[in-house]
Amino acid sequence: MERDMILSMVQWVRRIFADFDAAHREKATALTVMEMEELENIFALLLLGSFAGIPSPPTFLAVELLPYMERELQILSKRAKDSNDMLAEMFGTIGIE
Amino acid sequence: MKILFFTGKGGVGKSTISAASAWQLYRKYRVLIVSLDPAHNLGDVFGVVLNHKKQRFTDSLYLKEVNLQKLCREYLQREISVLTHSYRYLQTINLDTYFSVLKYSPGIEEYALLTSIEETLRSERDFDYIVFDTPPTGLTLRFLALPWITITWIDRLIKIRRDILEKRHTIYRIRGILDDTETILSYDENDDDILKRLKTLKGNYQALSSVIQGKDCGIVLVYNPDTLSLKESKRLVDGLRELKLPLRLLINNKIQKKYQTMADHVDSVMQSFAPAVPIQRVAFSEGLLDGQNSSLYNIEETILSPFEMK
Repeated sequence: MERDMILSMVQWVRRIFADFDAAHREKATALTVMEMEELENIFALLLLGSFAGIPSPPTFLAVELLPYMERELQILSKRAKDSNDMLAEMFGTIGIE
Repeated sequence: MKILFFTGKGGVGKSTISAASAWQLYRKYRVLIVSLDPAHNLGDVFGVVLNHKKQRFTDSLYLKEVNLQKLCREYLQREISVLTHSYRYLQTINLDTYFSVLKYSPGIEEYALLTSIEETLRSERDFDYIVFDTPPTGLTLRFLALPWITITWIDRLIKIRRDILEKRHTIYRIRGILDDTETILSYDENDDDILKRLKTLKGNYQALSSVIQGKDCGIVLVYNPDTLSLKESKRLVDGLRELKLPLRLLINNKIQKKYQTMADHVDSVMQSFAPAVPIQRVAFSEGLLDGQNSSLYNIEETILSPFEMK
């Protein structure tokens, strides 16, 4: 009985540490994730910029890569949706409440 | 295998001269002549009907007219099939109607042209000469510039893509995978479809670019002894130089005896634009005027003598 209790305690402590670890890792990568998404956004914008009036590469290049761009397109549209509150988005990522 | 592109202003006689050259070459070599001009008249010149397929004219002379519209359509069709394959949920939507608009987007036509040249060069290895009759200056310069422009763009895109993958790798290393439902974003250069595609494309364009800049490829510039054609030819010479494409022969076509001085003047100016490029003169042929196609074969000058195979 007592042994069981100790075991579950140990497991509980382990969980706490694991969650701590995950949270810290998450926090440590938050900025890099933002950077990456920004880059992916730029990549999509560059390829499909003609829709927004940005000089774009030869159309066929965009058509050629379009099949593999699902993620980038999603980020692009997410960015476009959040664009009217960019500041909040930024503060959220950096961690200023 | 030698590759010749006949370029020049519209109406200077590119098709006639390229056809006549092919006609003169075929006696000694195996020749394929390809018309890239959307306003096809290769068939008219030879007096046969060409259905956008390679057609045998004599044992060593083959003719082909490229169907641009069909090429565009095929190209988009291919893309649609890849697209529907990767975005499963799109299968329910009829994408064809959307993509039918794409064929009007700028660049697709040049791309289709370039693809057809590439395909021809790749598949027709049995010929000694491949002669291309090109569309008028503007379109020709654009599609000849395409490999270079594309490579520049691809380089930029590859750089950004590498940055993205590097970031992904960093994130993966620090964070790992938190639970099973998460999909891992590809971070390795060999796993990323986009980077792989970009690299393949770059390889293709570099190969093509090295072929058309190489020593077995030549651009032949056809012009007439008049000022308008002279001006446009200068632009073409400049454009070719910028693209590092080898101009190998100038042809002054439709020279008439009574305008001899004009012809001399135009030739001397052309020579100053493009020093050391041989000039070949072709006299105005009365016979061609009334559409007797047989006269084509009687062009007296040996057009390609400066460019014969060694």
